[in-house]
Amino acid sequence: MSANPASKSQPVSALPPLSGKPMRQVGSTGPLVLLPNRCTGCRTCELACAFAHSEDGNLGLSRIRIHPAGPDRYVQVTCLQCVNAACVQVCPTQALVRNADTGAICHDENRCVGCGLCETACPFGHMHFAVEMRKPVKCDLCGGRPACAMFCPHEALEWR
Amino acid sequence: MTSPFKNAAELEKHQKQLQGQKQLPSTIAVCTSGCVAYGANRLVDAFTKAVKSRKIGDQVRIIATGCQGFCERGPLVVVHPQEWFYEKVDGKDINDILDSALKGKVLKRLLHKDAKGKTYQKESEVPFYRNQKRLLLAQNSRIDPCSIDDYLRAGGYAALAKALTKMAPEEVIEQITASGLRGRGGGGFPAGVKWKSCRAAASKNGVRYIICNADEGDPGAFMDRALIEGNPHSVIEGMIIGAWAVGHPGKPQGFVYIRNEYPLAVERLGIALEQARAAGLLGKNILGSGLNFDIQVNRGGGAFVCGESTALMASIEGDVGRPRAKHIHTVEVGLNGKPSNLNNVETWANVPLIIDHGVKWFTKIGTGDVSDNPWGGSKGTKIFALVGKVKNTGLVEVPMGATLREIIYDIGGGIRDGKKFKAVQTGGPSGGCLPESKLDVPVDFDTLVQEGSMMGSGGMIVMDEDTCMVDVAKYFVGFLKFESCGNCTSCRDGLIRLHELLEDITTGRGSEATIQLIEDLAETVRASSLCALGTSAVNPLQSTLRYFRDEYLAHVQDQRCPAKVCKELITFTIDAKKCNGCTLCAKRCPQDTIEGKKKKPYTIIQDNCIKCGICMDVCQQDAVIVQ
Amino acid sequence: MPIRFKINDVAVEAKPGEGLLDVARRNGFSIPSLCHLESVPAIGACRICLVEVRRGRRSKLTTSCNYEVLDGIEVSTDSPEIRRHRAMNLELLLARAPSSEAIRKLAAQYGVSQPRFGPIKYNPLPNCILCELCVRACTELGHHALTTVGRGDRKRIGLPFNKPADTCVGCGACASVCPTHCIPMTDTLTKRAIWGQKHDFVRCSECGAPVITKKHRDHAIATKGLPEDYYDVCQSCKQIATSQRFAAIVW
Repeated sequence: MSANPASKSQPVSALPPLSGKPMRQVGSTGPLVLLPNRCTGCRTCELACAFAHSEDGNLGLSRIRIHPAGPDRYVQVTCLQCVNAACVQVCPTQALVRNADTGAICHDENRCVGCGLCETACPFGHMHFAVEMRKPVKCDLCGGRPACAMFCPHEALEWR
Repeated sequence: MTSPFKNAAELEKHQKQLQGQKQLPSTIAVCTSGCVAYGANRLVDAFTKAVKSRKIGDQVRIIATGCQGFCERGPLVVVHPQEWFYEKVDGKDINDILDSALKGKVLKRLLHKDAKGKTYQKESEVPFYRNQKRLLLAQNSRIDPCSIDDYLRAGGYAALAKALTKMAPEEVIEQITASGLRGRGGGGFPAGVKWKSCRAAASKNGVRYIICNADEGDPGAFMDRALIEGNPHSVIEGMIIGAWAVGHPGKPQGFVYIRNEYPLAVERLGIALEQARAAGLLGKNILGSGLNFDIQVNRGGGAFVCGESTALMASIEGDVGRPRAKHIHTVEVGLNGKPSNLNNVETWANVPLIIDHGVKWFTKIGTGDVSDNPWGGSKGTKIFALVGKVKNTGLVEVPMGATLREIIYDIGGGIRDGKKFKAVQTGGPSGGCLPESKLDVPVDFDTLVQEGSMMGSGGMIVMDEDTCMVDVAKYFVGFLKFESCGNCTSCRDGLIRLHELLEDITTGRGSEATIQLIEDLAETVRASSLCALGTSAVNPLQSTLRYFRDEYLAHVQDQRCPAKVCKELITFTIDAKKCNGCTLCAKRCPQDTIEGKKKKPYTIIQDNCIKCGICMDVCQQDAVIVQ
Repeated sequence: MPIRFKINDVAVEAKPGEGLLDVARRNGFSIPSLCHLESVPAIGACRICLVEVRRGRRSKLTTSCNYEVLDGIEVSTDSPEIRRHRAMNLELLLARAPSSEAIRKLAAQYGVSQPRFGPIKYNPLPNCILCELCVRACTELGHHALTTVGRGDRKRIGLPFNKPADTCVGCGACASVCPTHCIPMTDTLTKRAIWGQKHDFVRCSECGAPVITKKHRDHAIATKGLPEDYYDVCQSCKQIATSQRFAAIVW
């Protein structure tokens, strides 16, 4: 595996280019496609995700984040469900397993011991360790009906 | 000992030779097991010294034996071949004993006297022994446990030779199954059935473990200790036969897991193993049969729970000794994940007897019918450690099916000091307490369980009217809460809480709701604990609740301890009419809480009284009353 | 050959050697448990996952976590008897860990709100229920820095030989798996204090936030084969970098 592409020790422009295509299809259903150019930064997706994963809509548990990227520009960051995922590679208890149907790498609560290595290993900063729960928080594509895509009012997230 | 025996014929020849040898005219056997506490070791030294100084070494042989059984009357000395039985022998008696042995005239003053004053010469005539059936313990007062020749002379290792040369492994298993021998460690599982499944279990490299459980931790029990200290070769012989039956032609390996608190047993077992190795009875190609087998000794660290088979195996593996679920039996997946056949010391010691004397002989002893069902009865004898408030404490061996009354009254001589019998606890700390109404219950595996107790490994504690049954239950629950491995909530916390609740009752803080809670909690401890320690831990509690409920009720309803044991519920007072003011009680009171004037009645100031009862013990006038 | 048996009269399949609790959960049956994770060996400590297993004519109560499934068994996950014993065990645990939210909630489901027992006398780690998940997780991760000490009423969770273990990397998995969150662990910007040791953090090269303990990073590098600079930036800084990278592509 190459050096951490997110490391800011090198300018972003020096990082290897992304293909520009949507994510590679890894499950039998379509991928979740992020379309930042449609995003208005309304954060409905964050809220939808939070409610999909917790009773009280705790935003800290949202698996998607909107980051500003200049005037009127917003970028959604969520799990890319990497083909060779660093999180899966480092997990000592095989608690991160790809769901064959959705292609999502899912966190198995019944296996995770909460060592936190996955958070550190994820090069994109998606994997997030919820300190209160002592468990990682990770996009599971809502088992095939991603709430973020369903609720995005601007179709900036598509579930194909 | 000569060179190792290459085959059974050599063994037999040596045995014949030994039996043909002329014995010294006299053998003096001194018990050096429990009697050590009475100074038996000094006795042996004095005997040896006297023999040396009197230069009678060619006439008298002194042997230090294992437990001879009648512990109450120790130190015990038996003079062979006449079998004169001397009790409470002191250093002063040595020369008299030697003289009488040389002259061939019995020394009357050391003989056993019964309550009516009748004396008995021979060991086998003494009522304590007469009413027993000593098969496993038969050699205990005859042989030197540190001499393999003694064992061979008594016919030892003949069963091994027979099994290895004349019987196929399967045949041995058939015999053991047909004999109805059931596990003496407490479970009562038919040994033959266990052996058969262990032999049948798949083992990749053919390794099968033959394990002897000598982790005898029950308070007041010393059956296994007596066997290993008194006749270690019988256990070893049993294990070698087991290795042949279960493990041949694979790679059987032996372990004895013995508690380190038995230093003498560890020592004598080690000596016996060395002798067996030197004689070619352990090692490669035993007696030319092709069987390769050796036994390793593992010393336990003092945890009671390591007597449980899976915990014992974990401990041998070097892990924390704690049980695991046995949904898959250890005969299939045991020590190191290999098929393991674990039996108790006493079970192993029975094996040579069965092979030697045959199934018919063995099945004649005991109860039930095991001809088609090995669970159909209890065969053979059982050794019990008879202790408590009985006159003749000691180690007794009786046929299965003997009644509690026979054991306690005929052998044990009844209750001490003319008190009334109250209860007997069988089966160690996890056994139940049976009342007088159950005295005629035959002692066998199934009946005892039916009555709410168990055979256990053979502890038998007799209690008299001065015993508070709530206190007894509290003692055993307290023992087990300390000895639980602590894995299961129900056993660990359940026993802690049961102990607290019993403490409440014995200190007068209990109510009927406490008894109800105890009953509910005990049910959960029994139903939801993992191993036999947990599931049987509440036996003493539940059985006392069943048979002595009125005592519990007296504690909670009337704040009264009927046996006058529970300190918080009793008071000591001085009967002014009887007290003559001798000052004895006041002098001995550790709290200085007895006041009065000389020659006038004294009084106990209750505030400082710790209810130790010393005043009552020292009072010559019986003026101290406990209420 | 899959193993076939029934849970609450519903036919299920499992692989040989699987634990009953795992199979039941996978098939949607809910069995409460406080001491079980699929990734660590089951020991049946909490006794809450009791079920009734009928095998032939014999039926018995057993914990499902450490019961290896067998062909033809019939499992029942609920009955008045099971509920009674679960409730009693929960009452015992609640008395041991009165301030644990997880146990309070579960106990309430079984009608236990206030235990009839007082505070436990010996429990050096308050609220610890001795389920040993911490010990088993630590062992499973290969650190072996925790152990149980003693037995019976004096059993506790502790350090091998009573001194901080060199092998502890400060990953905090013990604190994570603890069902009552009773293991004290305090993080500052620079150090993590746990089990009598202070572990230096790797600090984020961007913002200085703590990322991972140095020993944990070294252990991960040695065992997981990821390059060293995977571990120098904190999660938020990585996320910001990712967003910038996406932005650079889109616009």
